[in-house]
Amino acid sequence: MSRAATLPSHQRSRGGASLRFEVARGATRLADLHQASPMRILFPEPEPGEPPLAALVNTAGGLAGGDAVEVGIALGPGAEACVSTPAAEKIYRSLGAETRIAARLEVEAGATLEWIPQETILFDGARLSRRLEADVGADARLVMAEMLVFGRHARGEALHAGSLFDSWRLRREGRLVWADGTALDGALREPLDSPFGFDGAEACATLVLLAEGPLEEARDALRAEGMAATILRPGMLILRWLGRAVPVRDGLGQAIRMLRARVLGRPSSLPRLWTC
Amino acid sequence: MGAYTYSHGLEAAVEEGAVTRRDDLVAYVATALRDGAGRVDGALLAAAHRALAAGKARALDAVAELGAAWRGTPETALEAEAQGTAFLNVTLAAWPEPRLAAFVARHPRRIPHAVAFGAAAAAHGVPLRDAAFGYLSAFAANLVSAGVRLVPLGQTDGQVATAALLPVVAAAAEAALTADLDRIGTASPALDLFSIRHETQYTRLFRS
Repeated sequence: MSRAATLPSHQRSRGGASLRFEVARGATRLADLHQASPMRILFPEPEPGEPPLAALVNTAGGLAGGDAVEVGIALGPGAEACVSTPAAEKIYRSLGAETRIAARLEVEAGATLEWIPQETILFDGARLSRRLEADVGADARLVMAEMLVFGRHARGEALHAGSLFDSWRLRREGRLVWADGTALDGALREPLDSPFGFDGAEACATLVLLAEGPLEEARDALRAEGMAATILRPGMLILRWLGRAVPVRDGLGQAIRMLRARVLGRPSSLPRLWTC
Repeated sequence: MGAYTYSHGLEAAVEEGAVTRRDDLVAYVATALRDGAGRVDGALLAAAHRALAAGKARALDAVAELGAAWRGTPETALEAEAQGTAFLNVTLAAWPEPRLAAFVARHPRRIPHAVAFGAAAAAHGVPLRDAAFGYLSAFAANLVSAGVRLVPLGQTDGQVATAALLPVVAAAAEAALTADLDRIGTASPALDLFSIRHETQYTRLFRS
């Protein structure tokens, strides 16, 4: 055996968390919870009028190359919940291996889920592979948003090296209704700076809303605020942002607040996790 | 197939002043080929070609399902679906082929253009490399033609742009041959934003 083969590799995290909410005795209640380090799920007391809030916490503070985490969120029929994070997720520079994140959302008939984590920051040299999957049942509603930041801009760092593979797959009643993906590798500044690629943006964000019923009024209200909102197919609205990190984050927060009030019938506010 | 009615967001880019010269047009189309729809369409075309050639109907159906769900914007989805449907109608009328007819019958009006083209090419024995190059060069030529009308540019500038894009088309076709549909993604969100803003553009000549 060669000496190299006997050396321990860096210890890497393989964690995850999953939960299931069910309606019982007239209210959404936690029915199942599993968590493996570094992922933890906390349940801050929701504000009055708010559904249960689950806060995904990465106790390691960030993810490195070779780390893999899986998150599973399931809502039983009619359940309502919001899932967010108390801070930005950080993806550290990798020595070669990808950081892998997988999230699977199951929203059963008549349930409403908001998946609105705070932004994910790609440090220079990060290699992230992320797969987001959602299965939405009849009359169920899903707001799903993700924001990516290219480098630690607060420190003046831009993303020069690394890779990103980001895959979204949404199914409604078993049928694939949306597939989307971003793939960046190699010389990253070229696509990041190209006026027809990322146009020099520090950050990008995507929000998807699946909700049966007409969405034209919500789309037009978002457009009136200058947002790029469009109805991809009946019952499916998407918004995209590209630009400096602060306005992208502000725009995403504003869109979530507007959709909560106009479509979900919830207060026009963000979880306190986002603002404190 | 009415390709001339689609600009793939270029009409909005011209309106907003992001494409004003021949070099801008080349950069726009090169990004669409290398990092945008060209990347995804090339991978879909190759997967459809291989599935039909191998007689794997379920694999072909999965490619059609993925292609139909891959919609960056409503207008680019219309572009892909309407041209796919028109292409299949013409192809089946002029060159009937039972495997292609069975595929179309299973997915009425929802086979995107690249999947339709890949499957039809395989059904008629057109090699994959030729099919990918043909499809992507037609995509590029159509966008150049739209740019010549929109910017506007002279016919010579149009030909110069087409020539400049030839190596990009060839590279995109080669990339399609080795693409893994499970790892496919774009890197051109600005093109999606042009396409979204095109929906509300005041004066429009094009459907996308």
